[in-house]
Amino acid sequence: MLSLLARLLKALNSEAAPGQVAFGFALAMIPGFTPLFSLINLVVLLIACILRINFSAFLLGIVVFSAIGYFLDPLSADVGEYLLTLPSLTDTWTQFYQNDWMRISSFNNTVAMGGLVISVLLLVPVTLISRILILQYRKRVLNWVNRLKIVQALKATKFWSIYTKFAEYS
Amino acid sequence: MTKWIRWSGLAGFLAVVGLIAALFIFLLPFLIKSGVEFAGTKLAGAKVTLDDADVTLSPLGVRLEGLQVADARAPMMNLMEFDEAVADLELAPLIIGKAISNELSVSNLRFHTERETSGALEVVIEETEEEKSPSLKEKASEALPSVDEVLAKETLSTPGAGEALKAAWNENSQLIDDAFDKVPDDSSIAQYEEQIQAITSGRLESIEDFRERKRQLDELKEQFKQDRDAVRDAREVVRSAKTEVSAKLTELRQAPSEDLAYLKDKYQLSGSGVSNITGLLFGDDAANWAREALYWYEKVKPYLESGDSAEADSEKDEKAPRLAGRFIHFPSDDPWPDFMIRTARLTGPFDGGQLVISGKDITHQQTVTGRPTVFTVTGEGLQKIGDLDGRLVLNHTVGNATDTLTLAISDWKMAPLNLGVAGARLASSRVQLDATAEVVRGELDADLDANVTQANFTGEGQTLFARELNAALQGINNFNVDAGVTGTLKNPDVAFGSDLDRQINSAISNRIRAKQDEFERKLRNRLNEKMSEYAGEYAEELQQLAAMEGSLDDKLGALKDLASAELEDFKAQQEREAREKLDAEKAAAEEKARKEAEARKQELKDQAKDKLKNLF
Repeated sequence: MLSLLARLLKALNSEAAPGQVAFGFALAMIPGFTPLFSLINLVVLLIACILRINFSAFLLGIVVFSAIGYFLDPLSADVGEYLLTLPSLTDTWTQFYQNDWMRISSFNNTVAMGGLVISVLLLVPVTLISRILILQYRKRVLNWVNRLKIVQALKATKFWSIYTKFAEYS
Repeated sequence: MTKWIRWSGLAGFLAVVGLIAALFIFLLPFLIKSGVEFAGTKLAGAKVTLDDADVTLSPLGVRLEGLQVADARAPMMNLMEFDEAVADLELAPLIIGKAISNELSVSNLRFHTERETSGALEVVIEETEEEKSPSLKEKASEALPSVDEVLAKETLSTPGAGEALKAAWNENSQLIDDAFDKVPDDSSIAQYEEQIQAITSGRLESIEDFRERKRQLDELKEQFKQDRDAVRDAREVVRSAKTEVSAKLTELRQAPSEDLAYLKDKYQLSGSGVSNITGLLFGDDAANWAREALYWYEKVKPYLESGDSAEADSEKDEKAPRLAGRFIHFPSDDPWPDFMIRTARLTGPFDGGQLVISGKDITHQQTVTGRPTVFTVTGEGLQKIGDLDGRLVLNHTVGNATDTLTLAISDWKMAPLNLGVAGARLASSRVQLDATAEVVRGELDADLDANVTQANFTGEGQTLFARELNAALQGINNFNVDAGVTGTLKNPDVAFGSDLDRQINSAISNRIRAKQDEFERKLRNRLNEKMSEYAGEYAEELQQLAAMEGSLDDKLGALKDLASAELEDFKAQQEREAREKLDAEKAAAEEKARKEAEARKQELKDQAKDKLKNLF
């Protein structure tokens, strides 16, 4: 079971270029800022799986942005409320509402709509900023991190050994 | 482009999603079973059990088998149970957790069936004081005591008044006896008259004779004066006694009436006791039916959202781990509330036929559907009911929620109904019933109009009330019952009106009035007997007192006449005799002179005649 999981992660994490990591991290904003179990996030998961982005960064991003999303929800709700009740968009939303798949997406939920809009708007800026930070991280912090005891303890686990084994084979 | 795509990732995604979906489908029956039992138990307040739940994939749907909902008030009974329920499910709403069924079919639905095991939850329900208090029927069933029991049990004023009369008479009779001892009797007065006659008659022979008679007369007058004082005193004593005894006798004579009025009031002999027979007969049963309906309504009501509940939802959401947001719904022919059954058909055995309950747009979120939930109830092939037509509309589409029930039953051969009072029983009848009920903002307004024909009452009660009620009911074949319920759901105010009241009143009032009159007469006779025990002899004595007073008045008058007798004195007698002698002599002289004058006159007349004769 661990081997299967490690093989999957290896396959997903093989894309380690700064841009791939940065986009994977930024893409996690969508599930982080919107209700987790939704059709939109299923689609986002599909994107994260089939695009050559770093999946670990995506998973880490979900954790980070979910925590931020907890505080951002009221703003998301306000934004969604504003957009969904905007008279000029009512016809559009009404047309969307007639479609089952659109309705499954929960677009008419204020937090989902607000969180989606905010995360989409921030997708590119966060990707660029993340890329810069990753470059700086690899250049200045990585060696220091590898020397941390907690990291060394993690590398001593069975899971890490299986992970690295598959990494070497690939 | 392909360098951006990671096909292995697609495979992994499909594998993971497929695994999750398979797991979900595998677990779904267990989730449904436990969900139905948990939510049902919470709703009913008693055990809800489901034998089995299945999920079918084509078409997507669920099948529930063997549902039993225990009655929280009677744990060994089921409120309802059914053998099988089949519902299809729409896939798209289900993906986002919304259970929407186009059609629900429930077969063999039954109400109030027995359970093999208790369906009670571990909750101790204490009996309230209200439940302990006797019902109206119990009060009405109390037997009327007999006359002897009433008289033995009650402290009445008649015996007291009798004792007071007795005491007053005893006290006054002694005073009367003492006073009468000093009063002269009739023989004494006759003797007085003889003595007066002897003293005042006959010629006074001398001055000594006169003086002797006068002394005797003065002595008698002194005696008369003493006797008159004694008579006056006796008369006052008699008058006083007469007044006091008369007052006590009046009190005694009034006492039975006062006692009777008190007993009539205490033992409900007045006709007002039969003024609301309808409420008495049907009140408890109607209250039970109403309580049953309100029980279900109270269970369902919290789950019916109204238009003004969105704010409450938001407040509730704010307490959640993460803000869930608000779903804004747009016009659609296919609204998706969290739960909805578009059409439902529930059937079950009822009255030898089949009860068919149809539901439409059953949901707790009518603000989403924009349509009220409507239930209709009809009967097919019923044995004792001609037509059954019920319609319940739960309209919570707007803030001012309105729930309406209309019910029409025609030609209902009502089962024998124990009225529970006075052993009365409505053995058979035909009923036409129309009822409406409306609940707006928790305020209940309901009306029921039942026309009962071919009514046949029986009864075996032994109390006066029971016997007379049953006798009165025997003569009633048709009657109407009107019931009205107003007030809040928590505290409904039920009022009954019926021409049964009038019919029973006219029948039972006459009969009960006759019985009351008989009871009153017996009671009055017994009270009068008690009064007569005291008053009988004293009434006679009182008459004697009145006679005594008259007798004393006569004696007083006689003594007064006797005392007015006077003796002429001796000098006056001498002067009277001299005057009588002088008058006699004077009369003799005048007679003599008159005779001499007539003789002279005759002589002169004769001389004249002679002279004339000589001339011729």
